[in-house]
Formats: sequence, structure tokens, C-alpha cells
Amino acid sequence: MIYLLQGNLSVSDSGSYLPVAIQVLFVVGLIALLIFLTHILGPKRKTADKLQSFASGIESHGDARQPMAIKYFLTAILFVLFDVEVIFFYPYAVIFKELGWNGFLAVLMFVGFFLCGFIYILKKGALKWED
Amino acid sequence: MNALILSAVLGVIMMFSGVMLKQKSAVRNIAITGLFLLLVVNILEMSGMSFFRINTAGMMHFDRFSLLFNCIVFFSTFVYLLLSARDIEKTGNYYAEYFTLIFFILCGVILVSSFQSLLILFLGIEIISIPLYILTGSDKKNLKSNEASLKYFLLGAFSTGLMLMGIALIYGSVGSFSTAQINMTEKPGALMIAGMILLLFSMSFKVSAAPFHFWTPDVYDGAPTVFTSFMATIVKVAAFIAFIRLFGEAFGNLQPQWQIWIALITAATLFIGNITAVFQQSVKRMLAYSSIAQAGFMLLSLYAMNADAKEGLLLYSAAYSLATIGIFAVLIKMNDYTFDGFNGLAKYQPLLAATTTIFLLSLAGIPLTAGFISKFYMLKAAVATGRHLWLVIFAVLMAAVSVYYYFRVIQAMYFKEGQPGIITTSPVFKYTLVVLAALIIILGIFPNLLLNWYYF
Amino acid sequence: MQNALQIAWLIPLFPLLGFLINGLGRKHLSKSAIGVIGSGVILASFVMSIWVFLQVKDGNTHVADYFNFISVGDLSIPFAFQLDQLSSLFLLIITGVGFLIHVYSASYMHEEKTEHFGRYFSYLNLFVFSMLLLVMGGNYVIMFIGWEGVGLCSYLLIGYWFKKAEYNKAANKAFIMNRIGDLAFLIAIFWIIKKVGNVNYHDVFQFAGENKFSTADITGITLLLFVGATGKSAQIPLYTWLPDAMAGPTPVSALIHAATMVTAGIYMIARSNVLYSLSHTTMNIVAIVGLATALLAATIALKQNDIKKVLAYSTVSQLGFMFLALGTGAYVAAVFHVMTHAFFKALLFLGSGSVIHAMGGEQDIRNMGGLSKKLSVTYFTFLVGCIAIAGIPPFSGFFSKDAILLSAFEKSPVLYGIALFTALLTAFYMFRLLFITFSGKFRGTHEQEHHLHESPAAMTIPLIILAVLSIIGGFVGIPEALMHGGDKLSAFLSPVIKPHEGTPVSHSTEYGLMALSTVLVIAMIIAAWFKFRNYQRSEAAGFGKVLENKWYVDELYDKIIVNPLNKFGGFLNSFIEKFVIDGVVNGVGRIVNYSSRQLRLLQSGQVGSYIFLMVLSMLVVFVLQFFLRK
Repeated sequence: MIYLLQGNLSVSDSGSYLPVAIQVLFVVGLIALLIFLTHILGPKRKTADKLQSFASGIESHGDARQPMAIKYFLTAILFVLFDVEVIFFYPYAVIFKELGWNGFLAVLMFVGFFLCGFIYILKKGALKWED
Repeated sequence: MNALILSAVLGVIMMFSGVMLKQKSAVRNIAITGLFLLLVVNILEMSGMSFFRINTAGMMHFDRFSLLFNCIVFFSTFVYLLLSARDIEKTGNYYAEYFTLIFFILCGVILVSSFQSLLILFLGIEIISIPLYILTGSDKKNLKSNEASLKYFLLGAFSTGLMLMGIALIYGSVGSFSTAQINMTEKPGALMIAGMILLLFSMSFKVSAAPFHFWTPDVYDGAPTVFTSFMATIVKVAAFIAFIRLFGEAFGNLQPQWQIWIALITAATLFIGNITAVFQQSVKRMLAYSSIAQAGFMLLSLYAMNADAKEGLLLYSAAYSLATIGIFAVLIKMNDYTFDGFNGLAKYQPLLAATTTIFLLSLAGIPLTAGFISKFYMLKAAVATGRHLWLVIFAVLMAAVSVYYYFRVIQAMYFKEGQPGIITTSPVFKYTLVVLAALIIILGIFPNLLLNWYYF
Repeated sequence: MQNALQIAWLIPLFPLLGFLINGLGRKHLSKSAIGVIGSGVILASFVMSIWVFLQVKDGNTHVADYFNFISVGDLSIPFAFQLDQLSSLFLLIITGVGFLIHVYSASYMHEEKTEHFGRYFSYLNLFVFSMLLLVMGGNYVIMFIGWEGVGLCSYLLIGYWFKKAEYNKAANKAFIMNRIGDLAFLIAIFWIIKKVGNVNYHDVFQFAGENKFSTADITGITLLLFVGATGKSAQIPLYTWLPDAMAGPTPVSALIHAATMVTAGIYMIARSNVLYSLSHTTMNIVAIVGLATALLAATIALKQNDIKKVLAYSTVSQLGFMFLALGTGAYVAAVFHVMTHAFFKALLFLGSGSVIHAMGGEQDIRNMGGLSKKLSVTYFTFLVGCIAIAGIPPFSGFFSKDAILLSAFEKSPVLYGIALFTALLTAFYMFRLLFITFSGKFRGTHEQEHHLHESPAAMTIPLIILAVLSIIGGFVGIPEALMHGGDKLSAFLSPVIKPHEGTPVSHSTEYGLMALSTVLVIAMIIAAWFKFRNYQRSEAAGFGKVLENKWYVDELYDKIIVNPLNKFGGFLNSFIEKFVIDGVVNGVGRIVNYSSRQLRLLQSGQVGSYIFLMVLSMLVVFVLQFFLRK
């Protein structure tokens, strides 16, 4: 154990970890405090309705683990995929002048690959809703 | 760089060829031609003709070692497609996608064979792993295939987690992903050591070294046999190249810290692989364990980590891949995967039996085959370190055990009566097998034919 | 005339070609074509070998370096052949005796299907090829390749009649036992590389000659090489495969036992004589193991009833003699015995093959008897073989055995005593075999009696040639005491093997020893004659009262020596061999099997348990790395 600690010290200055430690303490403390406070202060009404799962106000019925059409997943996952890729345009938008034509070509290539993927899933019929 | 870009483009081409072309044979021929092109451009790059000049910012470096290794990989895949492309198509409906995934895996292989930065290593490993999860489960109707795929994915995710944690710890202590930078660390602290050990674990997982081998038999057994062949050969040797590069270039100076662990892992791998293979009833499962056992031998190069070891690993990857691809290609054609399924093969299919015998002899390390020479190089490299000689003796003993289960197949083919159910084979298949067997013997007599490429 | 050495690569090439032609064309060629090709290539090699022999006779040696086989770092291993006196002598034995066996086989195996016939000849050619590679190799690695090749071919040939599971077991046993020896050999090679940086004979021996090896190194290397030799040459404890290897066709037994394979170990040690002479420890171990094997095998042979088993144990015993010679530093005597043994053992095996052929596959000598009338050629040649192996002058076995006994005597009278005793046993059991088989009344079925016939000429001519060689073969090594300038063999081998150093025994002592051994051997033969000439199956009734009373001495001898020995032989056979040696060997196999089953259980198929085991081992590594190291 002592060896472990020594190792730590030799790697870097322990001071650099101080902010991290403070933040960890702060986060843990805050969460504990909040949970504690809501527990103490909040009113408690225990009814059968409250123990039911909440689904946008609609009354839930049946088993949640039912087979569902794969199309929902597929559409959802494709959405997430394209959504995430779009995020890369934000940093580019900020510095596109500095990057110049090389940067433009790189982004063009990125979009090109993207487009290939898009055409591929279209051709494969992944977004076709009716069978 | 040539091959990296071409393989990515070829992957995309294969993707579209599945959509555009209706004929299976056209898709197959495109894949085979594409692979041939890949081999050609890689050889061109070896002789100094690089088509692209891209600044990789020190993240990748295409040296002779990685280029030669890529040549071996492309050639093996080429042979693999010649032998088994038709069987790949039979696996499921999405025949073009299987080829696509294989090209993407090759992309990953190129990355892991030439990385200079832990980021690229991670990317490469993931690009290899994710398509493999899909290929493992490609036989959708088969429950075993699905189970294997899920298992592989779960355990693979676990090992990916270990690897990321390791990389994070190392970055934390060094402040860089560059292998050269990491190697220059003068006083490695506990964080660095812990990171290195985590990387050791996750790489051991990828090369299926004990005690991280548990996924191997289940996954190899469950996956469609064509893809087992690919996983057990090309992917496995690629993981080894990544392993030896990582520990040679990033942790070379820490050798005293990890050498004993590698030695123990090697011994455990050799022991578990060889001993468990003895008791198997199915040839496919036996080959899964044999791949663990062979991994044990390849780990010797890691343990030794000298000039001999690198050459030896190149030779070993060629010898092992070619022989195993050959055996699997024959196995796919069999109806019955048990040892008894091979009974009497020599009588009905003398050519198949003869070539399979050569492949098995090579795996067992009988002289005049490539398998012997490569084992010889490994042992030589391990002896040259001058430490832990018990490991060499143990390895030699385990090689003797391996003879038992490889010869069981030969015995079944030649010395037992039976009528093996076998699917008819095309002339191309037979010629390729013969060429493969000839190559193994030629490499066994003139190993320098391959190794000279490393130097000039 | 220098060119014979230049084209020596043809010698192994011929059998290789034969292997390819017969192997590939076994379905298309006729039997006679296969036989002619198979034997012809060996004959071609034999002719080449004679040519090479004539070249090296005057002390030439030649190392033919073809290409660089392996080069790793600063180690380079050339693919080279070394042609000198020792290798050329072995070449002659291998190709000469091998050729006769091939010719014999063509007739012996004639009833096989054409396809199997081709397979048989291709294996046979491959066998000879491997053996030639072993002998001609210019360094230890090439020798090792031939060494492994021989093991592989023996596996294929012993399992030739693969329909019987028992034979397959015998083939496996032979191969695996050989592999155990091979491992030791391989480790020895690595050791040599580590010390010398090279495996060429020339460099290694020069290194040894300059005394650069430490005692530990030289002892280790020579011991490991010796363990390799015990595997191939069937010495304690790795000898049990050889008697089982009788499962193969009889000509194969002849080839394995006489001309090739088992002599490989002798060749290896004779080749490495420079190394062995440096280590007294190893030499003593070699001598003791050799002698112990010789004695053990000879006692077991007393009790055997299978014609081939007797010959097999006699081979083990004779190999023990050769190792005794090697261990006492008489390398030339060992090589000499290899040569004479090749003649008479090939003769005996082929003779037994002829008997088995005539008996329609019967191998139990209790069912034979009185064959001398019907099989006269076989009988006479077999008799010659027995006299030669028993060691009666001037037959070849006498001279080589005498040289070994003499070197044992120089070393220690105890060794000599035991060796002489073993030699007497040899005479006894060989003549027991001869008399039971060929004299007395026929004890087989009527059908067999009707079927009895002399073998065709293709089988008897090799027998006759080998018989002639067994008679005159010993004259190349007549001891100095009998003829001035007689010992041609040690003069011939002197460039490779340094002349024997030891306290020379005076000629009168030598005469005395020769006379003693000869007289005792003849006495043994006479004893065997009275005991077995009218052998009956039931042993108790087999001896008439008259005989018993008349030869009270014989009875006494029987009670005091033979019976205990028989019992001891039976005990060794049933206990030491079956229980101890097989037990150890099988035990290892059982442990492997057991742990294989246990390890399989770890593979539960549960992802959770896999991860648990992985995390557990990771924890162990972390704990050890951080808390216990340093």
C-alpha cells in the first residue's frame, strides 16, 4: 500500500489533484444533502396510484416486455446516429476560416461518407415503414 | 497507407455491390479482385510507391514490419476467400455485407499493425471487434450462433472497458497517447504500471491467452465455421502484432515489470490450450483450443521481445494462418464435425486428406513444414533471453502433447474405416489447397523467402 | 573422380522421387512397376553410395553446403550434407540392406491391393529418404529433421495394417515415445546454439576440442542427446515401443530394426564422439543403461513365444551392447556392431518373414516345428544368422561382439562379466528359437502343413546374400591380435573417430577372452539343442524321463539358472515392463486425460462465471504486482 502511495507521489504533484478532490467532495456532499432534504421536508402520501409507473399521464396496462417491431429501434438508432454526427459540424462552424480549403475538403469527405451510408440504408429499405 | 484507404473504399464498394448487383458470383468476384488489388498496392508501397501523402501527426507509421505483416494478412485473406467465398455466401441472406465487414476488419488490422498512438490502437481494435460480433451472429436462425455473438459482445465490451481504463491511466500519468512518449517515461509510477497491466489483460483477451481465453471455445464453436476460420487466423495474428508492437514500443523499457506476467500467461495458455484440446470430440472445438495453444507459442515472441522474436512472429503468423485456413476450409465441407466424421476420408478424398495432413503436421511442428521452423524461431528467441528456461522446456513438452490431438485427425482419415459425408468441391478449391500445402512446405524449407522481405 | 561428392545430393533424392512417384501414382501403376521403381531408386542410391565410399576411402571428407536454411540474427544454419567415412559407411548399410529389403518386400507384400502396395512402397522410400537425411546432414538441425522424419515414417509403417485398433495403438506408442526422446534432442540443440552459436558438426567439435564447454554444459548436452538416442534406439526406459512395433509388416520390422531407425541413436552418439569423450559422467551412464537394457531384454527374450517378439527383444539387447560399446569409448566397435547387426538381424527378420509367409500368417513358434525339411533355404540362412548373432568365429557377430566385450573388459571386469553373461543368454534364446521352429515335429494344423512351401526366389535371394554378408562381414574388423593390420575399420574411421584410448590388453589375454566366450557360447548352444530339439507344447510332458535322467546337469542347470531366469524374465516382462515402465508412460497419459476433463469443467458456458474468473485472476495479478513484488 505504501508503495502505491509513493508511486502516486512520484507521478505528479499531488496539488494538481486538489481541485478534483474538492469537486468530488462537493458533488457527493450536494447529492447527499439534496436527498436528505427532500426526504425530511417533502410530504409523504402513500397511495396505490403513486406506486404505479408513470407513462405520460396515460394509464399503463399490460407487460412492458412485449415483442415490438424492430422498425422502431431501427429508426430510433438511425436518428441518434445522424444526430450525433451532426454535432461535428459545430466545431467546424467555429473555425472553418482558419482551416481553409483543406479543412473544407476534409469535411466534404466526411459528408460524402455520410451520404454513402445514408444512400445505403435507403436502398436497403431500413427507413421503409410499410412492408 | 495505400492499403488502408483502399480497404475502406472497397468496404463501401462491397456495401453497394450488394444493393446494385443481383448476381452472387459478381459480388464474390469483386471481393476476390479487390483483395488481390489490396495485396498489389501494399506490395507497391513496400517497394516505395506510396500513392498518398497524408500527415498522420505521428499517430501511425508504416514500417517494413507492418507492411510485411499486412502482406501476409492480405495474402491469407485472399486464399481464404478463394477457398471459402462460396461458403460465406451460404451463411445468410446478406452475402455482400459479409464481404463488407471483412474489408472493414482488414482496415482495423492495418490500423493495429501500424499504430504509434494508443488512440489508433483502440480504434483499430474496435474496428476489428464490432464487425466480428456481427459475423459471429450472422447465422441468424441458429441459436448457438446468436448465443456466441451475445457472449462475445458482452465479454468483448468488458475487455474494451479494461483497455480504455488502462489507456486513461497511462494518459493520466504520462500526458500523451504516443507510444514513443510513453516509453520515455523515466520513473514509471503505480498509475502507469496499473495502466500497463490493464492493457496487458485486455490484449490477452484479444489474443485469447489464459486466463482470458474463456470466450474463445464458445465463440469459435458457435460462430459459422467460415467466420471461425477468419477469426482464428487473421484476426488473431493481427491482435498479436498489436500486442507485440504495444509492449515493444510503448512498454519496452518496462520489460522487467511485465516479463514475468507474460511468462506466466504463456505457460498457462500453453497448458490450458493443449491439455483441454486432448479431450475434445469435435474437430471444430479442438481447433478452437488448438488456436489457444498456438497463441501460447506466439506469446513466446512477446516474452522474448528481441529481433528474433519479431521475425519469428511474422513467420509464425504466416505458417499458422495458412495451415489453419486450410484445415477449416476442409472442415466446412464436412457434414460431421466430430473426429469420427473424418473416418476414411483418405479413401474417398485422397487429395483433401493429403493436404489436410500437411496442414496438421505443420501445426504440430513436424520438420520440413513451416510450423516447425516458426516454432523453432520462437523457442530460439525465448532461449536467447537467457531467463526462465523452464518456459522453453514447458513449451516443448506441450508441443509434444499437441501431436496427440492433431494426429487423431490424421489417424481418423487414414487409419479408420468410414464413409465421410462430404459436399462436392470445385477444382479451384482443390488447386488452392494444393498450392497452400506446397507453400507450407516451401516455407518450411526456405523460410528466408519470406523473411528476406523484412530486410531489403 | 571428385564429382561423386559433388552430386551426393542425388543419394537422398532418389528415394524421395520414388516416394513421390509411388505415392502419387499408386492407383495408376501396376504392382510390378511400383516394385521396380521402389527398389530401383534404392539401388540407384546404393550405387551412388558405393561411389561416395570409394571417394572417401582414402581419407577425403566433404561438406556440401547447399543453401542457407535458417538465419536468425547471427545464427545461420546451412542446409548442408557432410560426407565422410562415418556417414558413407552408414549410407552403404542403409541403402544396401534397404535395397535387399525392398526386393524382398515386393514379393512378400504381393497379395496386398495395388493401391496399398503403392502406399507401402512410398512409405518405405520415404523412410529411407529420412534416414539418409539423418545420416548425411552436416549439422544437428538437418539430423533432427531426418530424425523426426524417421519417427513419422515408422508411425505410418507400423500402422500400415490400420484395420486393427491394436496396431494403431502400437503405432501411436512408437511415435509418442519417439517424440519424448526427440524433445530432449531438440533442447540439446538449443543448448548447443546457446553455447556455440552454431550447430555445424565442424564448429561444435572444434569448440569442444578447444575445451570451451564447461563441465555442466557438456554433461547436460550429452545427456540430453543420449535421452534422444534412447527414444530412437529403444533403450531403458523408452524401449517398450520396439517390441510393440512388430505390428507392422515383417520387412518393415527388418528395416526398422536392422538398417535404419534404431541405429540412428548409435549414429548420433558416434557422430558426437568428441563431445561424449569429454564427459565421463555421461559415458558411464550410457554404458550402464546400455548394459542394463541388454540384460533386461535378453532375459525377457527367453520367455517369448512369438517369433518376431524374440527377434525384437534381441534387437533391444543388441542395441544395449552397442550403447555399452559407446559408453566404454569403443565407438568403432559400436559402429562395427551396427554393421554386422544390420546383416544378421535383417537376415533373421526376413527369414522369420519367410517362415510366417509359409505358415500363412502364424507367428507363434509353439505351433511350428520341423520346418527345416520344407524350408531348407530359409533354415540354412536362419541358422547362419543365429550363429552370427551368437558370436561363433569366424561369423561376423563374433568379431563385433568380441570388440565390445574387450572394451568392456578394459573398463572393468564386472561390466565384462555381465556382458558375457548376456551374450550367453543371446546364444541360448536364439537357438531356442531356431530349434523350436525348425526341428522336431510339426505342431501346426494340417491345413498349414499342407500349405508349407519355400518362399519364391525374390525372397530367398536376399536371404542368401545377407547370409553371405553375415558370414564374411566381420572380416573388415578382425582384431589386431588375430591378424596383423587387420582392423581395417578403425583405420578407415580414424578421421572421424579418434582411435580408442585405453589400457591395451595383452594379446594373450585377448586370446583367452575370445576362447572363453566361444567355448561358453557353444556350450549354451548344445544346452539349447538338448532342451528344445524335440520341443512339445506342454512343457512338463515335453521332457522324457530318459532325457532328464541322462542329462542331470541339464536338469540342474534348468533348476538353478534357467527356471529362476525364466521367472525373472517373466517377472520383468509382467511387472517391470507392464507395470513400472508402461505404468509411468500410461500414467503421464492418464494425467493429461484427467486434467483435460477437469479443465473442461471451467468452460461452463456462463458469461458470469467467465467474468468472475477473469476478474479473480486480475485481482491476483494486481495484488502480486503491487504488494508482493520488490
